[in-house]
Amino acid sequence: MSAAGTGLDFTLPQQLTVIALCALTAFVSHLALAVFNDGVRPFLLDFVRGRSTRGATAAVSFGLSAGFVFGLGAPMALASGVLNPWLLFLPTDVLGILAPRKWLAPLLGAAWGAVVVFGLKGANRLAHELPVDFLTALQEMSTPILYLFTLFPVLAVTKQFGRVRGGVVGVVELALVVLTLKLWPTVFAGAVAMAVGVLMLIGFAVARDVGQRRAAAPVSDTAGTGSGDDADPMASLFGASAARLRRHLPLFMVLGAGICVLAQLKIFGGGEATSFLVAKGQYAEAAQVDLYRMLGFLPLIATTALASGAYGIVGFTLAYPVGYLLPNPYLAALAGAAVFAVEVLALSWIGKGLGRLPSVRDSSEHLRAAIGEALGLAILFGSLMAANAMGGGLGILVCGGLYLLNEAMGRPVVRMAAAPAAVLVGGVVLNVLYWLDLFTPVKA
Amino acid sequence: MAQILTGGVGKIEVAEAVERLGLDGVDVTVSSDLDAATRLRTGTADYYLGACHTGAGASLGLLVGLLGQGACHTFGRGTPTADEVDALLVDGKKAFGFALDRIEAVAPVVARAIAGRGA
Repeated sequence: MSAAGTGLDFTLPQQLTVIALCALTAFVSHLALAVFNDGVRPFLLDFVRGRSTRGATAAVSFGLSAGFVFGLGAPMALASGVLNPWLLFLPTDVLGILAPRKWLAPLLGAAWGAVVVFGLKGANRLAHELPVDFLTALQEMSTPILYLFTLFPVLAVTKQFGRVRGGVVGVVELALVVLTLKLWPTVFAGAVAMAVGVLMLIGFAVARDVGQRRAAAPVSDTAGTGSGDDADPMASLFGASAARLRRHLPLFMVLGAGICVLAQLKIFGGGEATSFLVAKGQYAEAAQVDLYRMLGFLPLIATTALASGAYGIVGFTLAYPVGYLLPNPYLAALAGAAVFAVEVLALSWIGKGLGRLPSVRDSSEHLRAAIGEALGLAILFGSLMAANAMGGGLGILVCGGLYLLNEAMGRPVVRMAAAPAAVLVGGVVLNVLYWLDLFTPVKA
Repeated sequence: MAQILTGGVGKIEVAEAVERLGLDGVDVTVSSDLDAATRLRTGTADYYLGACHTGAGASLGLLVGLLGQGACHTFGRGTPTADEVDALLVDGKKAFGFALDRIEAVAPVVARAIAGRGA
């Protein structure tokens, strides 16, 4: 049955895992050792140094996170039927920092985990029993997501290295997609193309950095002393942060084990696209997509961690793809702990490397922007396809209309989540119309 | 001439949004957070505008660490008024972060306020 793909029937061990992990993430956030929100991390520096109060830091955290919980995490979870980090870990960021006592933080975190697990399960069951099943319709989303996501390296190369190289990567990727479809019909068509596209982007960036360093070498004397003065405060800040995180290595290993187990349970998608892939059971594709996504986020998470002394709750997000691919939770726990240990120990070295490779750092920003643009179109188009599957022209009118309304109102819901959220609301509207005898569900 | 640097995920779009205003007394250059933090500290640039998904991570993260929270302000996903930005500039804020999907709304307000102070 199609419902099996999206139906979130959490088993008891799954529920307990989510609740325990939320308790742990809230505790880690309380200690200001890690937060999920990349924007909150920098503000933890002043808190740790005692220049900012717990209340003020909690307020910053809430201000930067609330929109993403209600505008991205919740609609994504309802739409895909799969848990996501925005829904689970942004609230535990806030609750952990907010909690005035150490013992209260895990309790609040666990309570949030329970709310999510039981609330989402109830909402999902209810939705599947309705005459207009909008959750099954939302599975339409996965084709546009997978195929448009394939193109993100082309967009990133075009933005960073111009039209000519962007065009070359575009042609290469298209050829590889056609070739894959013809030669290996069982493999996801974009798999090879995406890998080659990402490698070309990294290649261009490294080549530019190496070339520039070679060009700058003759004047390295003056440049050396100049940047030496400026690099000093940065080096000492980065060094102190890395040392702080290393001191808590065992706790981070437990956290890594938890994150990896969560991904292994197949009830969690780490990225915007992955939720829909995990919902459809396409784990290998999900792992590939999140691995590339990691390349976009690694420099950001490393830089903010080194500048603040607080790490990412999910590390560099490498634990996600590892978890999707592993056969059982025990292996996932071991692997997750190992991944986090390596990440935390390598942080200092990664920071130095990124300092020497500004184009690579730049690439990651273009990569994230490109992922956002490709997914933005894919999710919008997929949502309209879902609206069409659900209610034909009327569905498109209601869902497209709600999306446009959000735009006109200045985007209270994050753009990425606006279309799936519109499908949810549209689905409820169509069900009400059906109940009033004003609408007949479209038969697939 | 106030030198504005842009950084973060939407740095090109931010610079374009400011350039489009054609303001006198403001010069905008696409930069990066790392470069901007150094140049603001050494005084070879005056202001920094950064955009990213949250409005504070990729855009401001490094600057909060290196310049201190006192010099930085995030609008998050909100949109400030001209008066609010003026007050922040008087307060000594130099680096501003905002959300990617708010660039069109926020960047012009901040750039105009900076240009207004120069005049």
